[in-house]
Amino acid sequence: MPDPAEPAPARLQDVTVWDPLLRLTHWSFPLLIPAMWWTAENSKWALHKRLGLVLLGLLLFRVVWGFVGPETARFSHFVKGPKAVLAYLRSGEGGPAIGHSPLGGWSTIALIGAMLVQVSLGLFAGDPFDGMTGPLNPLVGVMVADTITEVHEAFFWVIAALVGLHLAAITFYAVKGDDLLSPMVGGDRPPMEGVAGIGPMPWVRGLLACGFAGGVALWVAFGAVPLT
Amino acid sequence: MSRMSAPRLIFAAALATGLAACSGGSSSTDEAPSAAAPLEIKERQDNFEAIGDAFKAVRGELEKDAPDFALIAARATDINGRAQRIEALFPVGTSTGDGFKTEALPTIWQKPEEFKAASRKLVDESAKLASLAGGGDKGAVGAQAMAMGGACKGCHDQFRLDDKK
Repeated sequence: MPDPAEPAPARLQDVTVWDPLLRLTHWSFPLLIPAMWWTAENSKWALHKRLGLVLLGLLLFRVVWGFVGPETARFSHFVKGPKAVLAYLRSGEGGPAIGHSPLGGWSTIALIGAMLVQVSLGLFAGDPFDGMTGPLNPLVGVMVADTITEVHEAFFWVIAALVGLHLAAITFYAVKGDDLLSPMVGGDRPPMEGVAGIGPMPWVRGLLACGFAGGVALWVAFGAVPLT
Repeated sequence: MSRMSAPRLIFAAALATGLAACSGGSSSTDEAPSAAAPLEIKERQDNFEAIGDAFKAVRGELEKDAPDFALIAARATDINGRAQRIEALFPVGTSTGDGFKTEALPTIWQKPEEFKAASRKLVDESAKLASLAGGGDKGAVGAQAMAMGGACKGCHDQFRLDDKK
């Protein structure tokens, strides 16, 4: 903290931590996950299927963004080995200045992975003689689809548990005085000495990644027919 | 540190709302919307559920190179017995219009003869499947299984709430 008597020098700038597309994708999840649960509980299957395919597109985008997005979005930036995770657990040190901590990185992988598993199971779920089916249901046998449907139903609780853990962790950091929420909302965090942030948004790459993810999701929505 | 307080407050409020919504939602999911739903509603739902499972087992067999025709016959007989129970499990006042968690459209009671005929169709088609299965002709059994599926679908299209919308 600078001496309050002295006039502050050129004010340090806020540090950009998360890019707009990453934030948009992130905040779609707390909207879509409850919506998926509600549509399933109330048998709104057409909506459930449509939202599920939107969710698939968003998850695919997040995965692509993990390779071509800004620094903090990249898997290479936040997926760390067990040594780094243990060191972080012991001392709270060793993470990058901004972005996911070594532990938070694995939480991110778990959340994205679990959602991908759940959405993928849904693609094969259902029974053509009894209501709605996922777009890839015809690719598996009737008994396999039946088992997948049951797993899809039960796996929701894995998602719910991970979301609970995620919220608990954010609360824990908030109590410690570490505000993780604001940067995920507005993108920026208060200034830090010697940290520049993620730089300008790569919109062209963002657009290409969106196009690719949306294209694959649409292709799956129409039954993933071979392209040749 | 003062700049922390506003987002923290928002965060706490959001978390509280989220938790309240979660707990409120999960505790009320499996309960019937109104007290004392007639027993027939659960009974017929279980009955249809079992018919669906039996039909799945039949189709599962027919996907194999060497289907177990004895199993198909047994499942078809099971469906046949359950199909005969359908009519009696739809007492008046148990439609979607009566405030129960059901997919039974009021059409069932508006066109009772057609509903009866639709349930009889499943009785007939499942009986045919049971007797055909003894012959062990996969093609014929498969065609009859699909005919029986047509009986399911025909009735659903007319009398069951369309949950694909």
